[in-house]
Amino acid sequence: MIIMKSFSKKRWTLVILTVAILACCCLPVMAEEKTLRIATTNEVKSPAFIGDYTLGLFNHISNPPLMQMNDKGELIGLLADRYEVSQDNTEWTFIIKGNQFWSDGTPVTADDVAYSIQMYGTSVPNAGWIGETLTDTQVDGDKVTFRFNKPYTNIALEFTSYSILPKHIWESIENPNEYTSTGPYVGAGPFYIDNVDLNSGKVIFRQNPGWKGKTPAYDTVEISWFKNEDAAAKALESGIMDTYWKYAASYPYAAIASLQKTGDFEVLEKPTSGMTFLGFNLKKEPMSDIAFRDAISNAINYQELVDISTLGHGKIPEKGFVPPAMDGYVRSTPMEYNPDTARNKLEKAGYIDSDKNGIVEGKDGDDIILNLLIRNSYAREAELVKEYLEKVGIGVEVRSVEDNTWFELKDKLEYDITLTRTTPWGMLMHAGWATGYFDSRRTGQGVLHTVDDEAFLTLCDNILGTTDRTLLTGYAKEVQKYYAENLPGIPLYWKNDITPYNKEITGWYSNPLYGIMNEFTFTGVKPAT
Amino acid sequence: MRPFLQGSIFLFRKLIRYSCSFGIIVLLVFLLPRMMPGDPVANLVGEDIYLTDETKETLRAALGLDSPLHEQFVLYSIHLLHLDLGYSYHMHGAVSDILADRAGWTLLYIGISIIIGTCTGIYLGARAGFEHETWWSSLISSLALIISSTPPYLLSLIAMVIFVYHLGWFPFKGFYDTFHILSIIHHLTLPVLILSVFYAARNVLIMRGTVLSEKIQLYPLFARSLGIPERRILIRHIRKNAIIPLIALIALDFGFLFSGALFIEIVFSLNGMGSLMYDAILNRDYPVLTGTFLVIAIFVICANFIADILSLALDPRTRSHP
Repeated sequence: MIIMKSFSKKRWTLVILTVAILACCCLPVMAEEKTLRIATTNEVKSPAFIGDYTLGLFNHISNPPLMQMNDKGELIGLLADRYEVSQDNTEWTFIIKGNQFWSDGTPVTADDVAYSIQMYGTSVPNAGWIGETLTDTQVDGDKVTFRFNKPYTNIALEFTSYSILPKHIWESIENPNEYTSTGPYVGAGPFYIDNVDLNSGKVIFRQNPGWKGKTPAYDTVEISWFKNEDAAAKALESGIMDTYWKYAASYPYAAIASLQKTGDFEVLEKPTSGMTFLGFNLKKEPMSDIAFRDAISNAINYQELVDISTLGHGKIPEKGFVPPAMDGYVRSTPMEYNPDTARNKLEKAGYIDSDKNGIVEGKDGDDIILNLLIRNSYAREAELVKEYLEKVGIGVEVRSVEDNTWFELKDKLEYDITLTRTTPWGMLMHAGWATGYFDSRRTGQGVLHTVDDEAFLTLCDNILGTTDRTLLTGYAKEVQKYYAENLPGIPLYWKNDITPYNKEITGWYSNPLYGIMNEFTFTGVKPAT
Repeated sequence: MRPFLQGSIFLFRKLIRYSCSFGIIVLLVFLLPRMMPGDPVANLVGEDIYLTDETKETLRAALGLDSPLHEQFVLYSIHLLHLDLGYSYHMHGAVSDILADRAGWTLLYIGISIIIGTCTGIYLGARAGFEHETWWSSLISSLALIISSTPPYLLSLIAMVIFVYHLGWFPFKGFYDTFHILSIIHHLTLPVLILSVFYAARNVLIMRGTVLSEKIQLYPLFARSLGIPERRILIRHIRKNAIIPLIALIALDFGFLFSGALFIEIVFSLNGMGSLMYDAILNRDYPVLTGTFLVIAIFVICANFIADILSLALDPRTRSHP
């Protein structure tokens, strides 16, 4: 009471005024912190900067790789200014851009690049190919030269996916792949990773104080991951997120209409090189018969698949398999749905329903009942394909399994036909233009490795043996011609990737490989007003 | 024989039984993941990556998967004796550390839900059973039936759309925005409420059924003839007997506590034990799988043992019929 009394009214007023003024001063400061919020369903499982798959995608922003892709699908420099390749394609020299700094103020050097690539080769399982092929690394000023034990023509593309790390930080870490920390991580991009919080489900990026490029309009970027698409879509509709991104996938087609109803979002719609296709076990009859595969290609109702699977955000594919989103695409005949033609082709090829039970017989006289092996997520498309094939007299039994079982059965060739997808990266791997999915000499979880035709394998080798753009354009045409004539896989639909964004923000940039997750977006987006 | 001695013999027998079960469980949790189709090395390398067989074999050796299964089991058992659950292929950390982090959060939100769901279910179920002719008894039973029959994922999504999206009362995801008690409470309230409603609904139905069958026994009639008030008959006599089947069920709930409620974790993007196990299955992360299976098994055993003790305390008949 004594204290209260000793505090005069004037003093109380002074205190209140001071607090009010301080609050007024602080509010604009707090409001000035501009945050770009991105929702995703790519979940970070561990705060391992290199070891975690999703964090490895996000850290391209904080730790730029040497190369990147532009919106046309062409490779351009990112941390590197340019590159040179030796005549025999075994030596690749990257010239690093100048005036680049890590977020701790240290300049980015060619040594950082050399260290990073060598480290990936020795420490990171999925970069084991570097360890297998890289024989020597030389640094000369701003140049770093990698020497491989065989001609390698895809290095510029491969190096779009390996984030460059600061050597002075990481060289003291014994096993970088297993290193975990919630941050901050020193980066050289427009933003660095400040915090990775698995329990709040967020990665927070902050502006790199050493960044000398175009100044980003946002102070922080917050990537929030959701464990299900419905919640992510609702979060976007509620306005707490500015955009949605998922690697090799679109915003859920079914949620687009209700998002647009809010009036707060626009969508960026871009054709993607990822697609769903029907693959064949070419080691078995009748799948090895091109006439049989050709008949199947006429049995599929492509328009219905486009309507159901992409809700109209796709198009009927062409026989050349490779979609227009890919560099080197060549227009070919669109896939045609005509059950009568399919039946006629089957009959002409000797697949006749002689016992009139509704199912045609194979060359051995038995009914053709194909084992359609799928991963659970393709159940809807598989039911449609079954229906289409049964309409033309081909029996189908769908076998739906989880991913690992699919990988195993697919590799053991314990199937007749299968439904699977390609990713943008998958379309580019190996010799590019989807060759990685079919070349029988390759292995890997997502690939079918069913084509051992010498003509196709030679074509792949030719592509792998050159970096000459003119030659590559010609080979790309040949590959697509091969697909159209031999149908090792039947594309079911081509699709567009939808990226919704807050219409109060402009400057979005999308490339075919990583969508909006690129440096152009992070330095280009700004509030519209 | 004296009751204390009878009880001790009963518990000792149970303890031996559970110890044997644990031994078998250790073998099973080791073998089950390894019997599943799929290759951990292929999962580690990824879908679109090509490595030579030599590199893959080096990786396999680094993970300790190149030796015969019996040798792997011996090594696993030795590590287990040192309380070492192994190292996760995909989470890049010691399994025990990962489990400790996830288990803490899971314990928090599922533990609270089980307690709320149990107390509410017992109270409402007992009253609904005891006064089953009343309108509110029918209402509670119907509601409990509807909630129990609704797929949990759907109910969670409906709750999210109403309370998060439309009303904006709760956040969409995570355990917190900033690590602060108020933020944690704000984030966990809705998941805990939904889980509590689920547990309560099931407990209401079971409790109501057992109270209905208990109230027609002779002992409530006898108590009534002695002039004991209805409320006291319910609380002191009927509920005590009706609760026994529920104890075993609640013990199982606690046993499966660490497997979490996957549906709630998926809807509210929570980093709990359910999703840890789910991801480990998809990735064939053997150390995480064996670690989580083992922890769940230990909890089931412990919970059952506690349930045995509780049954022993509540129902003297168990002492003579072990």
